[in-house]
Amino acid sequence: MTRLTALWTKETLALLRDRHGLAALFVMPVIFILVMTMALHDAFMPGAAIDVAYAIVDLDGSPHSQSLARRLGKTGSFRRVADPATTDAARADIRAGRYALALVLPKGFGERLLTPAGADGQATEALTLMVDPTLNPALQLAFRNQTSAALGMLRADELTHSAGKLFGLPTSARPAERDWPDEIVSTAVQNDRSIRPPSSVQQNVPAWLVFAMFFVVIPISAILITERQQGTLQRLAAMGLPFRFLLLGKLLPFFVVNQIQAVLMVAVGIWGVPLFGGEALAMPTGAGLLHWWLVAAAVSLAAVACALLVASLAQTTQQSTIIGGVGNILMAAIGGIMVPKFMMPGAMQTLAEWSPMAWALNGFHTVMLRHGDFAAILPDLVKLLACAALALAAATWLNRRQTA
Amino acid sequence: MLKVDGVSYRYRDAAAPALQDVSLNIPAGGVYGLLGPNGAGKTTLISLLAGLLTAADGKISLNDQPLTEARAANPRAISLVPQDYAFYPMLTVAENLAFFAGALGLARDERRQQIDAAIAFARLEQVTGKRAEQLSGGLRRRLNLAIGLLGQPQLLLLDEPTVGVDPQSRSFLLESIAALPASGTTVLYTSHYMEEVEAICQRVAILDQGRVLSEGTLDDLLATADSSAEIELDQALPAALAERYAATDLGHFKFGLFFRSTVEVARLLDELAVAGCTVRQLHVGRQNLEQLFMRLTRRSLRD
Repeated sequence: MTRLTALWTKETLALLRDRHGLAALFVMPVIFILVMTMALHDAFMPGAAIDVAYAIVDLDGSPHSQSLARRLGKTGSFRRVADPATTDAARADIRAGRYALALVLPKGFGERLLTPAGADGQATEALTLMVDPTLNPALQLAFRNQTSAALGMLRADELTHSAGKLFGLPTSARPAERDWPDEIVSTAVQNDRSIRPPSSVQQNVPAWLVFAMFFVVIPISAILITERQQGTLQRLAAMGLPFRFLLLGKLLPFFVVNQIQAVLMVAVGIWGVPLFGGEALAMPTGAGLLHWWLVAAAVSLAAVACALLVASLAQTTQQSTIIGGVGNILMAAIGGIMVPKFMMPGAMQTLAEWSPMAWALNGFHTVMLRHGDFAAILPDLVKLLACAALALAAATWLNRRQTA
Repeated sequence: MLKVDGVSYRYRDAAAPALQDVSLNIPAGGVYGLLGPNGAGKTTLISLLAGLLTAADGKISLNDQPLTEARAANPRAISLVPQDYAFYPMLTVAENLAFFAGALGLARDERRQQIDAAIAFARLEQVTGKRAEQLSGGLRRRLNLAIGLLGQPQLLLLDEPTVGVDPQSRSFLLESIAALPASGTTVLYTSHYMEEVEAICQRVAILDQGRVLSEGTLDDLLATADSSAEIELDQALPAALAERYAATDLGHFKFGLFFRSTVEVARLLDELAVAGCTVRQLHVGRQNLEQLFMRLTRRSLRD
C-alpha cells in the first residue's frame, strides 16, 4: 500500500503541474460543449428557423396578395426581409447577396386567384420565384412547397368564402388567416415511453465528455514516456517494483480525473449552457443515475487503458501527441462525437460501430434518452471493458518486450 | 560479495552476443571500476546485476546466494543509479526522494530517516523545495545519487555518475562515492574518465566486445615489467634507435620502446642527446590506466 500511495501521489503531483495536460482535460471540453451546443442549437430542433432570407415583390397590392405574404411570414422557417419595390431591385439585391429568394406576386394576382392557369380562357401570369443559384436546392424546394401550400390554403379559404356567399351561408367578412403549417410535433418512441429526440445539449455534453475522457492520453503518455526515456522505469524495476503496480498507479488517479471531468461537464450542461441561452441538461435520477455512472466508469477504464497502450507504442512525446491526438479526433469523427450518428449515412453509421467513442456515446444516450435499464447498457459496457482489457494486455506485453 | 561466473547474454535479434563468458569477482567494501569503450557490454552487465535482464548462461551470486533469490529476499540489496537523470523533473527534490522511498516500500519512520540521510549525504539541504527541472547539472547528479542510496543498498551500481558536471561537483561526487564503502555500501563504478577510476577504484575490470580483457587490483594492472617504456620526444626517433629498441610509433612523437635490461635506459638517453633529440617525457615501470586501456582495447574508433 505504501508503494501504491507513493505512485498515486506522484501521478497526482505530476498532473497538477502539467498545464497543457490540464487544459486538454478540462478547459477544452468545456469550451467545446458551450460552443457546439450553441452552434448546433437549431440543428437538433425539427422545424426550427432556417437562416435564409426572402423578400416578396408585391406587384398586385391586393388584400389577397398581402394575405399570402402574411401566411408565408407565419411559417417562420425562412426569414423575411424588407420588400423591394420592383423585380429589378429584387434581382440586384439577390446578386448582392442581401437575400437568397424573392417571390414575385404579379399584377392581377388577387383577381385571378380562383381562376388559375387560365381556367376561364384568359392567360394568368404565373408567380415567379427568383433564387440565388448557390442556395441549397433542398431549401429552394422547401420554399416552393411552403409557397404552394400557403397559396392552396388561401385559395381554399377564398373558395369557402365565395361559396358561402353564393349559397347564403354565414361567413365572416374576411377569411380567417389561420396559422400555417399546422404544427407537427416530432416524438421518438422507445421502451413504451414517449420522449423527444436528443436536444443539442443532450448530444453535446456526453459526446464531448467522452472525447475529453479519451484525452487522458496526453498527460499519461507525457509522464510514461519521460519515465522510460529518463531511465526512471529501469530504476523502479531495479527496485523490484512490478509493472502491474506501475499500471495500477496510473489507472486510479486518471480514473478519478475522468470522474471529475464527468461532474464538471454535467455541471456545465446543467448550469453553464442555460447562461448562454441554451437548454439545461436533464440528468437521469435514481437507478438511471447509477447506470449513467457505470457507463462513465467503463468509458474511463477504456480511455486510460488506450492511453497506456499509446504511451507504450510511442517512443517520444511528439509521437504520442500525434498518435493520441489524431487517433482521438478520428475516433470522434467516425464515432458520432463531432457529427451525431443519426445525421450520418448508413455506411458511416456501420463504420461508427467500430469506434469505442460510439459505444460510449451510445451507452450514455441509452440511459439519458431511452431511459434504458442495466440490460440495455450491458452490450456497450461489455465492449468498453473488453477494449480496456485488450489495451492493458497489449501495453503490458509491449513494456515487457521493450525491457527484455 | 558479488560473483559473476561465465555469464553470456545476447539481445533478441542481435548478431553478436553483448556479453561472452564474463567472470568477475567483486569483493565487499570497495569501489570496483568497470571500464570499456562504447558498446563493450557495461550497460548490459549492469542491467543483469540490477535484475532488469536475466542471463541465459552462467551464474551470478550475491553473498553466495543466486542473484534472483538474493533479490527476492532483499529487493533493496542492489541499487541502480542510471546514467540519465532517472527522476521526475516536475517534482521537487523532496517529493522525488519521498516517492522513491515510498516505491521501495520503506515504512514511515524509516522513510523519513533515510530521506534525511540521503539529503545530508548529497548536500541537497538548500534545494529540497526546488523542482528537479530547475537544478544545475551537478545538483541533478547529486539527486540521482541520493535516490540510489535510499534503502541502504549493499551494492550500488553507478553508471557514468559524473557526466556533464563542473569540476567542483565532480570532485564532491568522487569524494562522496569513495567514502561509501566505509558505511557498508560496495560500489560498482563505470566511467569513461580514466583518472576518476584511477583515483577512487581499488579493483578494475576492462571490458571490450563483451569479453573481460583484464581484471585485478589497480596496482597489479598498472605495474609493468621493466622491459617496456614510453617516451615522448620533440622530433621523430632516429631510425637506428627505433630498430634497436623495437619502437612502436604512438603518434605525436610518442614511442613505445622495449629494453633488454634497465641499463639500456641510460644508454638510450645518451644516444638521444648525441642525435640532438630532446626528451619531454619518459615512463618506465608503471603505465597509467589510459595507456593500459588504449593498449588493451586498441585505438580504433568504436562508434
